[in-house]
Amino acid sequence: MDRTQPKGSPRVPAGTMGDGGTTYSGVNPNAVWLNSRGIWLSYVIAVTILHLILLSIPFLNVAQAWTLTNVVHNIGNYIFLHMLKGTPWETNWDQGKSRLLTHWEQIDFGEQFTTTRKFLFLAPVILFILASFYTKYDPLHFVFNLSTMLLVLIPKLPQLHGVRIFGINKY
Amino acid sequence: MPLPRLTPGDRLEQRRHGGRTCAQALQERFAQLRPTPVTARKVGFTTKIKKMSQEVTQCLTYVNYGMLTLFGYFRDYLRKSGLETTHSAIERKKMKDFVPLYQSFESFVTRNIYMRIRDCGNRPICSVPSAEFDVLEMVSDDGNWHLRLTGKSRRCVNVASYNYLGFAENTGPCADAAAKALQQYGAGVCSTRQELGHYSIHEELEQTTARFLGVEDAVTFGMGFATNSMNIPALMGGKGCLILSDEKNHASLVLGARLCSTVIKVFKHNDMEDVERKLREAIIHGQPRTHRAWRKILIIVEGIYSMEASIIKLPDLIRLKKKYGAYLYLDEAHSIGALGQTGRGVTEYWGVDPRDVDIMMGTFTKSFAAAGGYIGGSKRLINYLRAYSHSTTYACSMAAPVAQQVISSMKIIMGEDGTNRGQLRIKQLAANTKYFRQRLVEMGFIVYGNDDSPIVPVIICMPAKIAAFSRELHQQNVGVPVVGFPATRLMESRARFCLSAAHTREMLDKVLDAISDVGDRLQLKYSLNPTTKAASAEECYKQVDSLAHEE
Repeated sequence: MDRTQPKGSPRVPAGTMGDGGTTYSGVNPNAVWLNSRGIWLSYVIAVTILHLILLSIPFLNVAQAWTLTNVVHNIGNYIFLHMLKGTPWETNWDQGKSRLLTHWEQIDFGEQFTTTRKFLFLAPVILFILASFYTKYDPLHFVFNLSTMLLVLIPKLPQLHGVRIFGINKY
Repeated sequence: MPLPRLTPGDRLEQRRHGGRTCAQALQERFAQLRPTPVTARKVGFTTKIKKMSQEVTQCLTYVNYGMLTLFGYFRDYLRKSGLETTHSAIERKKMKDFVPLYQSFESFVTRNIYMRIRDCGNRPICSVPSAEFDVLEMVSDDGNWHLRLTGKSRRCVNVASYNYLGFAENTGPCADAAAKALQQYGAGVCSTRQELGHYSIHEELEQTTARFLGVEDAVTFGMGFATNSMNIPALMGGKGCLILSDEKNHASLVLGARLCSTVIKVFKHNDMEDVERKLREAIIHGQPRTHRAWRKILIIVEGIYSMEASIIKLPDLIRLKKKYGAYLYLDEAHSIGALGQTGRGVTEYWGVDPRDVDIMMGTFTKSFAAAGGYIGGSKRLINYLRAYSHSTTYACSMAAPVAQQVISSMKIIMGEDGTNRGQLRIKQLAANTKYFRQRLVEMGFIVYGNDDSPIVPVIICMPAKIAAFSRELHQQNVGVPVVGFPATRLMESRARFCLSAAHTREMLDKVLDAISDVGDRLQLKYSLNPTTKAASAEECYKQVDSLAHEE
């Protein structure tokens, strides 16, 4: 299934840097850049590097490092995918529709259950499993790990597409 | 290896597999998959390192974007807390509780990425943009927020302008003829074609264009973009029409398609199987809800795509169009004058009859050094467009000096001025194209597009290298446009070289040496398999020399 453009809308190629910070495209790059080649591997590598940095801090033991990795990853995930709305570039072609959508809602033009969404859904789950194992299922760590994992998984459910609870983050 | 004797079970299988047993059929399939015996192929160590380095480059590109984003957030924080001066427009403090006028997140890329490399684009020039031009120097004291001219200029080789046949000159027969037309007809035509704006020079222009293209008739418009955006709605205005558009079509084609009330389906770039699939689906299923047959199906493609430099596979497309009864709209903005033995465009390049293309559109901006566009086709089509096009009804017609420039340059290309200067230009462009592309591939750059297209995009993956490439080449007196995300895909930031018949081989050598030097310093030579085809460019240059001596 071709996901490089929304249904029925032709894609437009680039201009030069003349108008800088804008795209001539009729397509929101935010919807497709997570499908780019090598981005998932880079995501995994970035999380690994974060973990290695946390492991190198002398006063943290392994369990705390794993929990911190999980928590920092989930908070970052939440902020960039579910808190920030709109696009960092001007979207001249869609009359502000993507300004109200979070990045998660913009991925693949709103199509659900695509492989990118599945990957981003699985990443916190796998980190949770690893963190639970390395913290030896300690109850306090479990509370932190589970709560942040739920924080980041619940907004990804298709039932919550476009939902703003109590009007938080609506505009 | 002899096959086993056939048993009764085998004979049954034979009937099923058309006279062969299952074993035989499998053997034949395997033989097809491996036509030549497999010899042990060892992937060399350097190739392995290079492959790994390509993956490393990809990862580093993402890291590069990530760092730019993080630093962008950091700088935004500094600006908000007052530690850094804010140069962009901000709202007044007392408007704090009102709905904000702008969403500052939308200008994130402009503030934090574009402003830092703003000096690489929109450089002012102070001469005619022919093979070389004078670029004015700009400096900035506050990180490119304010640029000021120093008054000095730098003579650079122009690989940025769309000047394929080198007609962008301010002296010579075209310029003289245009000056005379200015005296005779005036500067502008303050009226539309259907009212008072139809001059004899427009008649001459249209007849010359039709003769050039090899079609029955042509109509011209003052603006190339408007030729697409105003005429596609005129052609596809009714209900029940379908447009099949290439995914990398230009903004004018997209706008034209959107201005009609048609269904638009997009097919993969230059992928004829996808076109056939979509045509079949459209014809089989019909219109969306009613399933009635489509009234007409128009396939919109370009001759050369300016960002990918790929040439459309025209013979396949014409075969498909004839098979399924669709119409073809060919936008030859970049290919007219630049491709083909006599510069007639992509139809001549492929050896296809121009009358097979229903609507041949093109612009005069690139190869003819003028402005405006044309549509060529059958007399019936052109008469219809003359009456119903939005452009002929509401827009001013082409200015007379511009029309005269087109007429003069077209006559030179066709050889109607009595010399072979047109042919010389075409051959020079072809030789330059072959030579430049060959040398770039030999050096190890990743070059996109067809080997015959005069646009040469060179891939520079990383965003920081875009700016470095542009600035370094500017220091070495080469003016090249660069473009990156979000205008291109994330990994495909590129520099785009536009070759011209006005470039001499010495100029190209100078440009290539500069590119090679900068490419070494910035490590842009990503390609895994630089191939060499030494002979063909030399032949082309010999042809050019012999033509030049003929004069």
